[in-house]
Amino acid sequence: MNIFEHANSELNLPTDKYINGSCSIAKGVITKDANIIYDSDCYDISESLFSIYQHFELAYPKFYKMDNLSKLGWLTAEILLKNSFEKKDYQPERVGLILANANSSLDVDLRYIESANDIASPSLFVYTLPNIVIGEISIRNGFKGEHAFFVQESFDSDFIARQVNYLLDNDILQACICGWVDVLRQDYKSTLFLVEKNKKESSVLFSAENMRHIFDNN
Amino acid sequence: MIIIKRRMSSTVYIAGLGVISAIGNNVAEHLTAFGQEKAGMGDITLLNTIHRNELPVAEVKLSNNELAEMTGLPVGISRTALLSLVAAKEALTDAGIPDLSNLRTGFVSANSVGGMDKSEDFFVDFLADNSKGKLRHVYDHECGSMTEIVAEKLGITQFMTTLSTACSSSANAIFYGARLIKNNLLDVVIAGGADSLTKFTLNGFNTLMILDKEFCKPFDEHREGLNLGEGAGYVVLVSDKVVKNLNKQPYCKLSGYNNSNDAYHQTASSPEGTGSYLAMKGALAKSGLQPADIDYINLHGTGTPNNDSAEGTAVKRIFDPEYPPMSSTKSFTGHTLGASGGIEAVFSVLAINNKIIYPNLRFKTRMNGFDFEPVKRFLKDQDINHVMSNSFGFGGNCTSLIFSRV
Repeated sequence: MNIFEHANSELNLPTDKYINGSCSIAKGVITKDANIIYDSDCYDISESLFSIYQHFELAYPKFYKMDNLSKLGWLTAEILLKNSFEKKDYQPERVGLILANANSSLDVDLRYIESANDIASPSLFVYTLPNIVIGEISIRNGFKGEHAFFVQESFDSDFIARQVNYLLDNDILQACICGWVDVLRQDYKSTLFLVEKNKKESSVLFSAENMRHIFDNN
Repeated sequence: MIIIKRRMSSTVYIAGLGVISAIGNNVAEHLTAFGQEKAGMGDITLLNTIHRNELPVAEVKLSNNELAEMTGLPVGISRTALLSLVAAKEALTDAGIPDLSNLRTGFVSANSVGGMDKSEDFFVDFLADNSKGKLRHVYDHECGSMTEIVAEKLGITQFMTTLSTACSSSANAIFYGARLIKNNLLDVVIAGGADSLTKFTLNGFNTLMILDKEFCKPFDEHREGLNLGEGAGYVVLVSDKVVKNLNKQPYCKLSGYNNSNDAYHQTASSPEGTGSYLAMKGALAKSGLQPADIDYINLHGTGTPNNDSAEGTAVKRIFDPEYPPMSSTKSFTGHTLGASGGIEAVFSVLAINNKIIYPNLRFKTRMNGFDFEPVKRFLKDQDINHVMSNSFGFGGNCTSLIFSRV
């Protein structure tokens, strides 16, 4: 006997969803909605991330404590949402995040192991999980919706689209930030998408193909 | 479209108890150890670690071989599953529910380490030579594997799920089990959790610098950290329909529960104890009780400077100036992580049923800035109607449960 066989008898039809913003950071360059808005002009990841933080005058002391994965994801979300997102339009429980990357938290895992040769660092240790970046973005913005972090070989736009469609079509979320945040040593790339149900002038229809196109061109 | 009528069960009762920890292998042995004020910590004897003779832990005093023999599980299986089965089986037997096979029964079990103990065995060989290492050691690595192994042994097939929210895991399992019954999805739920000691958790907590090298001193001004423990604890939750057919009186009911989050730090509580305050306040609201109705608080009380001052602040915000008796039974069992909510739920139920209050061992000095302190001696013949049990986890995940006399 399946005790839940009648629990969800109503199927929800797909609703229209739009990419109402995108932001990428790679090689020190920030692209927002297909326009290059800043070039940090440096290749070292730590210098680059700090230069972005200063350029956008983001006063958030906790930034200094974060590992590079959280810094990268947090900065990308800050710039993605700036002037593009009305937080007050949503209940905190209706905004969520679906992120993925290839290297999990390996960047800080390695730093932590190196620190353990001397005295294992508690401040590095607390970042040795990839989904901490979701926590940092959620705490900053007060988001309390569903979230998940997936580890996959490369950006799988079909997979991400399936996850986001499920959450928005079933009204579990009304808005979702999704995409890719990956760091390993000096290699890094992030691309985040803001997905909503309302259509704006600049909206791009939300689809795996459109995410893939934006991801590949940044 | 099919419309189903949901008959809500108004009350969720506790019909059975099962527990294993460093101070005993069943409920009766725990009551004896509490009466004798006998803590379970000691030198590491079973876990294979470089921290032997350096960090005290609270080990269950049975080897994997002995546990396997007790449970009928294979010797090579994770200690987490072995501990889980001992306590879950005791709870289900204790409940003695007539005609169980005709009821909708679920197993909601929590843990935080899963089969990590066996994965650690695998890696010893694998890291030396990556063509070596026995894959059967990693087969049950996932937390959910523990639940499936135990459910199969208990004969539960209809519903099972695993929760893992760090140190509030099994309190959340009880909370979730109660909601499954309240919403008429199940009639009986065995809810709680288990965790075994592993290198992973011992080294992790050691890195965070929150392990006491002596026996822990919860809520003491001079507390220096926690001692890790292991074990399992389960309660059998039943609906009001099932309680009528029991051959005995239920122990008590679960009258309140709440989960709230600090959203403050990965591993620390906010100094104001926001998450714990909201959890306690929410559980009181759910139960319809006032702070003055609570007769005993089973504190989370890990013994770390951060937890105890945050929890103390939250307790003060709710109960000041009239504080109920309170204590941390982690001074007996150590901190059993994902099992602690289940183990301490059993203790909370026993406090009501046996009219007892547990001492907070080794307490000497009241914390600065607080007008209260925990109970120091084992107390009998206490008139206890409502017990609050706190379980707060990493990630700010805070849960309070309230148990009430029927």
